[in-house]
Amino acid sequence: MHERLSFYVKRNSVIHDLNPLTKVILTLALILIAFTSPWYWTPHLLVLVAIIPLSFIGKVAPEFFRTAIRIILPAAGFLFLMQAFFQPVGDTVIFKFYFLDVTQESLMFAFRNATRVIVMVSAFTFMLLTTHPSELMSDLTRRGLPGQFAYVIISTLQILPQMQAKAQTIISAQRSRGLDTESSFLKRMGSLSPLIGPLVFGSLAEVEERAIAIEARGFTSKKVKTSLHEIPDHSSDKIIRWGLVILVILSIALNLWPS
Amino acid sequence: MAFINLQNVTYKYPLTKTPVLQNINLQVNEGEFVAVIGPNGAGKSTLCYALAGFVPHFFKGEISGTIEVDGVESSKSTLDEWVLNVGLAFQNPFNQISGAKYTVFEEIAFGLENNGVPREEIRPRVEEAMKMTDISNLADRSPYSLSGGQQQRVALTSILVMKPKLLVLDEPTSQMDPIGTREVFGVVRRMAEGGMTVVMVEHKMEWIANFADRVIALKDGQILLEGKPNEVLTSDVLAENGFGISRYTSTAREAKKRGLWKKENLPVTLDEAVEGFKLG
Repeated sequence: MHERLSFYVKRNSVIHDLNPLTKVILTLALILIAFTSPWYWTPHLLVLVAIIPLSFIGKVAPEFFRTAIRIILPAAGFLFLMQAFFQPVGDTVIFKFYFLDVTQESLMFAFRNATRVIVMVSAFTFMLLTTHPSELMSDLTRRGLPGQFAYVIISTLQILPQMQAKAQTIISAQRSRGLDTESSFLKRMGSLSPLIGPLVFGSLAEVEERAIAIEARGFTSKKVKTSLHEIPDHSSDKIIRWGLVILVILSIALNLWPS
Repeated sequence: MAFINLQNVTYKYPLTKTPVLQNINLQVNEGEFVAVIGPNGAGKSTLCYALAGFVPHFFKGEISGTIEVDGVESSKSTLDEWVLNVGLAFQNPFNQISGAKYTVFEEIAFGLENNGVPREEIRPRVEEAMKMTDISNLADRSPYSLSGGQQQRVALTSILVMKPKLLVLDEPTSQMDPIGTREVFGVVRRMAEGGMTVVMVEHKMEWIANFADRVIALKDGQILLEGKPNEVLTSDVLAENGFGISRYTSTAREAKKRGLWKKENLPVTLDEAVEGFKLG
């Protein structure tokens, strides 16, 4: 069994010492600015001067680049190609590919959108790499997020891999008794449908037991919850948060400003 | 005044016709270790839920009679208050892991956090509880990476850390291999020896014979037999009512019919059987 069920990498860095909410706001601010700033090169610049340096400051650069190369760049590249070919804007045709025109405008458009997506996904990746999920949830609960809501999010993250493993066990068990998993798509769908029952009903029964188990540990207690870990929240966190909020407002204002 | 006091408890789950518990009267003293046995559908788990407050607070349904633990009546309390006094652990260790925590240490602290125990108290209490159940070495592991026996000990520790006065266990070893079973029984035995009141549903007769103070045999929601482990576990009534009984008991019973078992009482454990057959 895999020991690490979250993206979180434990390191000692300034970023790790930030309050979780600060990192959430940082992520959202990066995304909002990338999408709302009227200046064309904003998203590109954000990747170069914010996200990449931050991954070094947070000492998670190796993990960050691994994810970027494996997941983020291929996805963004695909998006770039699709938009470059199929976006019907502009007349400055650069080259033709059968009936598809690639114009300078569509290239520029695709380049910006692909970079915006890179900002979005890599900002989230950065946050997940440097923020412990249960600390994030405890912090948000302390700030008024309902405990049940936080529990649903965090337990789903952990229980999904377990459910996947269970589905795999059911499939393997049935394959060993001759279940067809390798012929045509429709046939496979047909033979998989009887497996959904055990998985779904089994999971529902599990949910009830888990509910009993956490109730037995006072999950619904009306007392104010405490937290095992002390979650840092310095005055510098507040300054960073407000600074980011102001930047986002500026970016949106500039976007709306009639020019 | 008994520590646990059940008076005429009858209970029906919602949308069902027949009661699962019928007219149960049960008194248990503080520090007593009571084992509950019974065939499938006898109401063993429901009895556990009733003691732990989940019947009727969680499952709803119709209940009559009174359930009292440590002088407090269940119907007059709320579930979140009740669980502070009565801890419950059950069969499947995997489903008892909250899923909200990433290490065993955090998992055990979960109940204390929920109940607002101050931070500086949490750490020492978790450490103490882990020492009791001998899992200190697992503190930084993910609860999902453990074996069944280890997971069950984590689940037990998560309950024990809340310092309940009564521990209710519903077949905690039924899904364990022999090693896991021994680990879990070891913990339960230590708790019982430390003076905690324990009610435990269990099928492993030899183990019950060695450690329980009293055995209660349930069938169809009613108490069929009650008494000292050796009296109850070797009773003919059990065999006639479809209870699982120890292989040493059934062997000796056959032997007795043929005059090969000379002792008055039938054995439950291997040691008793060996001793008895030596006489013959």
